[in-house]
Amino acid sequence: MDKFIVNIIHRPELSPEYAEKVTGRGKKENVGADDLHDESLDIFVFQQETAHANGLKTTIQITYASLFNDIIVEMAKHDHEVYGDEIALSLLGLPCKQFKEKYKTKDFCIWMFSEEDKMAIIDDCFSLFYEKFGFYPQSTGSYYLDAFSINYIKEKYPSVTCAVATCWEEGPKAYHTCNNSWYTFMDGGPWAPWIPSKHNTHCPAMSKEDDSGIVAIPHLSRDLIACFDGNGSNFGTHPQNVLRGLVYKDNELPYFFNLVDQYRHLGKYNNGLAYNMVFVGPGWLNKAGRWEAPYELLKKSYEDGMAYYGKLKKEGKCDDMTMSEFADYYRSVKSYDEPEVALWKDILYGSQKQYFWYCDPYMRACLDFNQGGAMIDLRPYVAQLDWKCGIGTDHVYDASYPYLIQANYRAGYFTHYAGAGTVKSLKVSCGSEEIDLALVRCKASWSKEGEDTVITTTPVEIKFSDFTMELQSKFIFKRGTGEVVIERNILNDIGDHEVMFDEYFTGAFGTTEYQSDMTKLKLICESETECETVDFNYKCRTVDVKDATSVRVVIPDVETIVEMTGDNDFGEFEEGHAFSPSYRISLKKKLNKGGMRTCLKLQKAD
Amino acid sequence: MSQATKGRLNYRCPQCFQRDIDMDLFYDADKKEYYCLRCCFRGDEEKILRMNEQIKDKYGLIMARIDSFGEDAGDLEYHTYKKGEL
Repeated sequence: MDKFIVNIIHRPELSPEYAEKVTGRGKKENVGADDLHDESLDIFVFQQETAHANGLKTTIQITYASLFNDIIVEMAKHDHEVYGDEIALSLLGLPCKQFKEKYKTKDFCIWMFSEEDKMAIIDDCFSLFYEKFGFYPQSTGSYYLDAFSINYIKEKYPSVTCAVATCWEEGPKAYHTCNNSWYTFMDGGPWAPWIPSKHNTHCPAMSKEDDSGIVAIPHLSRDLIACFDGNGSNFGTHPQNVLRGLVYKDNELPYFFNLVDQYRHLGKYNNGLAYNMVFVGPGWLNKAGRWEAPYELLKKSYEDGMAYYGKLKKEGKCDDMTMSEFADYYRSVKSYDEPEVALWKDILYGSQKQYFWYCDPYMRACLDFNQGGAMIDLRPYVAQLDWKCGIGTDHVYDASYPYLIQANYRAGYFTHYAGAGTVKSLKVSCGSEEIDLALVRCKASWSKEGEDTVITTTPVEIKFSDFTMELQSKFIFKRGTGEVVIERNILNDIGDHEVMFDEYFTGAFGTTEYQSDMTKLKLICESETECETVDFNYKCRTVDVKDATSVRVVIPDVETIVEMTGDNDFGEFEEGHAFSPSYRISLKKKLNKGGMRTCLKLQKAD
Repeated sequence: MSQATKGRLNYRCPQCFQRDIDMDLFYDADKKEYYCLRCCFRGDEEKILRMNEQIKDKYGLIMARIDSFGEDAGDLEYHTYKKGEL
């Protein structure tokens, strides 16, 4: 199977969230302005016509405001009949005169409302939709849909099979980019379609019992290096986002085509299935231009994007589907524990960096081969956190799934002056010399061993003052277990030299750059005969145990146990301190040939 | 001195953009210059456009069109993009 599927989604907003606020243009906010309505309608017509002209069908996500507009309702019915477009319902685009009068609020993100309001708004939108179209939609969505909303929708409106449910890595980075004013904290989720757990939208479902009943798609298909390292909103399958990132010259943006092609390439690692999602709101095709880009360039970029998908379709290299068609297809080819993986190359900066992303019901992880295969991101999906969000919960706006490792938010290998950043890597020492594999650049290859996913690095050289060691790392992601087996193999004869391998995991937990209280953590290191524990209290205590059978940390705040087992002479844990609020667990072994094999396991803490 | 407004296009501050912040510039008609509320940038349209082009230098593959993703551990193969090419 080699299949590249694109979902093209348009939403007629009428009061686009971006266009309604005209700060600095000397006008008062007026979401009901006639000129805004007319312009928004024109943009929607342009988007639909451009897709159709390239032979592509769309999913029309009807917004709340559109449900009060007969022209749009009739257009949607027409395009459904003529082009096979799906008429869906968006929970984005809530702001309009009618909504604000009824709900007396300026909130517009469905996941941020109270549970009572979520139910009322969902019922309102679905009822109005039924009134206008005579059926309930099969697809819906928002920038993020929390588990409460998905479960409620599925229970009340079982026709729904597909939803836009998250924006990949839209969290603190988006907030900072928008001058600390954009509260869409939802990072830590999958980058490709998935079946969400009933317990937490970010987590892929473990089983039929855990299946929320929908297929979730991400809002845009984003660059898996550029959006992790930098602003998540500049590098996705959204031509105007690419313009926002200034990734164009002479009004041309070949990066967009390269991005589409790299997503097509990911089929190699995912049983032939590759996917793209395009969802450009009308505010991005504003007639007044968008930042530096005049309307003509905004328009051209959208036309170029649609033309490329149209070309691929004509060549038999792309299947355009509506959202519900995609959901049916996805369910026909995917199983719950099948991982989604991506070996991603830098296609923008020319750095030759390469990341490996892994996602299954147990974890999301990222390895960076510019840092010797260090783990730079880790999310414990196995915990399936009941992370309620919205007004009246502990997380009013923060819907992100917590990390254990996030090397950009919480440092990685490099820290200033003192302390440790979150990263999983290997230190190799001999006498007074110590080298961290995070400082050795390499590349990686993907393969399968049975059901398991294997990533093997290119051999690297570790140079000591009087000898050089060749080393290769292998990461085996054990399907359906929450385990990653890590092999570090010495490839050459190092004579009589003996080196110490320190396979370590420095972690924390959270959703932002800042660490909350860590005093609930418990560090444990045990062997057949000994068990040492420390209740975390920032005292910088270090404990080691000979021939350890397990070294682990229990993190009640995120209901997770991180455990390391495997080859060792001794296991060790290190409590953090106030200047470095993190924990470190490790296994250490002396060797002069062969290798070291350890296992990192994530478990749910009860 | 009268209040600032937006310019013809909605320029962002190039200095803030370099640190991943989208910050709209405002226009001071009296001084005929744009300025930033968040940092100390001030300058005319020419300066903004010049700095925007400098920013693009970090995108080493901005005009590359990739032909092949190569072997997993291999290099990308690409050519310089030709205008109008899909």
